[in-house]
Amino acid sequence: MRGQGRPRGRQKRLSALFPAATAPGTAARAPFVLLIVVLLGSGLITLLLLNSALNQGSFELSKLERKTDELTDEQQALQQEVDAYSAPGALERRARRLGMVPGGAPVFLLPDGKVLGKPGVATSDGAPLSSSAAPSASALLGTAALSAPAGPSAAPSAAVAPPAVRPPVPASSATLGPQSTPAPAAALGRPGPPAPAAAPPAPAAPRAVPRAGAPTAPAPSPTTSGR
Amino acid sequence: MTEPRDPRRVPRPAQRGGQPPSRAGRPPAAKRPAPGRGAPRPGARRPGPRTPRPRSGAPALRLGSPRPRLRLVSLGLTLIMLIFVVRLFQVQAVDAGAFAAKANENRYVPVKLAAERGALTDRNGVDLATTVDAYDITADPSLLAPGKTRTDDAPQRAAALLAPILHEDEATLARKLDQPKARYVLLARQQTPQVWKRIKNLRKTLDAKAAAAPRSAPRPDVLTGIFADKHSKRLYPNKDLASGVLGFVNGAGKGGGGLEALLNKQLAGKDGKLVYAQSGGRRVPTADTQEHPAVPGTDVELTLDRDIQWAAQQAITDQVAKSGADRGYVVVQDTRTGEILALANAPAFDPNDVAKSDPEALGNAALSDAFEPGSTSKVMSMAAVLEEGVATPSTRVTVPNRLHRGDRLFADDVDHATWHLTLNGVLAKSSNIGTILATGQLGRTQPEANQVLYSYLRKFGIGKPTGLGFPGETDGILAKPQDWNTSQQYTIPFGQGLSLNAVQAASVYSTIANGGERIAPTLVRGTTGPDGHYAPAPRPAKNRVVSPKTARTLATMLESVVDDEEGTGAKAKIDGYRVGGKTGTSNRVDPKTGRYRGYTASFAGFAPADKPRITVYCAVQNPTKGSYFGGQVCGPIYQQVMAFALKTLQVPPTGAQPPRLPVTFTPGQ
Repeated sequence: MRGQGRPRGRQKRLSALFPAATAPGTAARAPFVLLIVVLLGSGLITLLLLNSALNQGSFELSKLERKTDELTDEQQALQQEVDAYSAPGALERRARRLGMVPGGAPVFLLPDGKVLGKPGVATSDGAPLSSSAAPSASALLGTAALSAPAGPSAAPSAAVAPPAVRPPVPASSATLGPQSTPAPAAALGRPGPPAPAAAPPAPAAPRAVPRAGAPTAPAPSPTTSGR
Repeated sequence: MTEPRDPRRVPRPAQRGGQPPSRAGRPPAAKRPAPGRGAPRPGARRPGPRTPRPRSGAPALRLGSPRPRLRLVSLGLTLIMLIFVVRLFQVQAVDAGAFAAKANENRYVPVKLAAERGALTDRNGVDLATTVDAYDITADPSLLAPGKTRTDDAPQRAAALLAPILHEDEATLARKLDQPKARYVLLARQQTPQVWKRIKNLRKTLDAKAAAAPRSAPRPDVLTGIFADKHSKRLYPNKDLASGVLGFVNGAGKGGGGLEALLNKQLAGKDGKLVYAQSGGRRVPTADTQEHPAVPGTDVELTLDRDIQWAAQQAITDQVAKSGADRGYVVVQDTRTGEILALANAPAFDPNDVAKSDPEALGNAALSDAFEPGSTSKVMSMAAVLEEGVATPSTRVTVPNRLHRGDRLFADDVDHATWHLTLNGVLAKSSNIGTILATGQLGRTQPEANQVLYSYLRKFGIGKPTGLGFPGETDGILAKPQDWNTSQQYTIPFGQGLSLNAVQAASVYSTIANGGERIAPTLVRGTTGPDGHYAPAPRPAKNRVVSPKTARTLATMLESVVDDEEGTGAKAKIDGYRVGGKTGTSNRVDPKTGRYRGYTASFAGFAPADKPRITVYCAVQNPTKGSYFGGQVCGPIYQQVMAFALKTLQVPPTGAQPPRLPVTFTPGQ
């Protein structure tokens, strides 16, 4: 090019593809290369940073997830323990070990001092639910009380000491209709040894003889069933 | 003039070609510059020094025309490109869908997100059934082979370490682990996370020891081959409490019985799905993920009260054992709302371990057993008589020793001289003859009377579903009045010849306690959806059966049963309270033979009689030891459970005096 010489045919065409190195107005090469290098380099570094940040996040995530799992497991275990302790059967066993016995029929003390219900005396077998019918040995009632602190008192055998501890009746049963009035209700309701207020109810004379008297051989036919 | 002008292009091949002659002997192939590197002419291949002007050189140096070669190359390239294009077209357009699907299959991993099953709680929010994490402990016995551990007793040592943690037999574990070829054995099912944690800790210490030990020494880390599969497990913290109502969950995590089956859809929730892109088993963080979170199941609050349920279950279990009975049920119902406070069966089963339970005890016998109620159903006959106005509680009924009706002689359970009873006395002394006489007044003819009695029985809910929709529930058996046979029309008034389940029986007494309006029993109080929103259960259906006045009168009559010294239910008395109830002792149909054999002892009643709050129904099937009378067997249970429920719900007595209706009359006065 440059006007001198005229490369023939192919050579000319080929040479036309290449820009003249020293053509005026062409940008210097170095800054361009630098720019590319910087661009590529920074892109690489950004990617690297991004990647490691993501990885960092996933590490954090899995760590926290593991911790959540652990804590959930612990919470579930503790909940099961609480459930086991608060199950009615377990409460009853522990109450009995403390020398508690099932309470009798509930009694309510009204704010005006009126007593609703019939207080009864609790024995080591538990309080009778009715004065006429003997308390069944398996009376299981009213033992769901956790109100009496388990305390250090080595539970005396129930037979020896009629419950000096508070009777096992849950607060609910000894409370009265409307509300409040805490202590006296319990004292009145359950005439334990320390409750002089309530006269031990004279077991009403043996009225209502249980009609247990076995009827003579009931004939096993549907025409004679009954009761 | 022919000298190349461009110094950048020409000198390179020229220089290469003009290398010192020493290098000229190289094989041409090694020397040939790649065509892409700008060798303009094949002449460059020629060894030996060359003049810069090839064309002016010897004729041997004459270059061949490049054109055919170029054409050949471009043809080849075109062909190759064409193949590429065709293939590209095929891949991208024709088979695009199939390939994309194949790629997605491998790239996207779907993960099921299990929905947590909803909890069942009692009316106070105490958990009755809940879901916890559990682990199946598994092992890869091949990792314990002698070659791997350099000891012969690795399985035995692993078994010795695991046995106390898993509470399994050591020899069994050792046998399972001692299979050097096996890759998988299941050591223990459904262990708590704590168990798995202990195993992991133990393994960690052993691994540390192994790392410290010399390479050739026996490896002490015998727990390397122990793994765990995590999944969830249904837990019933109260063991067999209310097991009949709750039911159980089967191995697939679906409800297998009871409310777990009935409410399965609500409890199960909806499993979620997570789809993410993976590469080499790792999640690609930047790729898009589809996540449909799991919808946890709905928590269901039942009407049961755990404490009352316990008292009922304890009482009936003891009594069934004491009486040597087949089974027994107790139903406690709130008379004002129809909510069932307790539904106890004996024997019960432990839903935590259904596999070891007695299959006979699975299910809810209180709803699935149909039995003849006996005298407890006399109250319905009395309700009909009072409501129809054919008699009052003081109506005099002369009860002979035997009564001839239809094809047989009817008798009372005690052989007695002629009784002079009031209608009240008929109920109190549970006279069959008196009941037959009274219900005979319901119509001018016996079929008419039957029709009237039938309509009342239906209104009380006999022979109809209870409304609970419980799986396996029975409707009971009540034939149409025109189908009643000769003796049935006289036995149905006193409760033989018809069948019902325990909840239906309890509902009859609740109806009377509720002023004559029957409220369908319910077991579900409300639900708490996944959004935390509490929705109370729909109100149960109500229908009026008898007037409030009749109901009040009946309640007073029922008091005589318990309160009167001639009543049959004295064992059910509770001091301070007015208690109404009715005993029942019926001939029991043996389910195996379909014939009468043994008895059903029952007691039903409510308290306080003058302001009813609670109904308790108790039935014991086939008591074989001691008394079989309802008043003796079930009276005490009624008393215990009722007193407990009154205490738990803090129901005060009214303090009013019972009216004490007369039971007998003196003839001629």
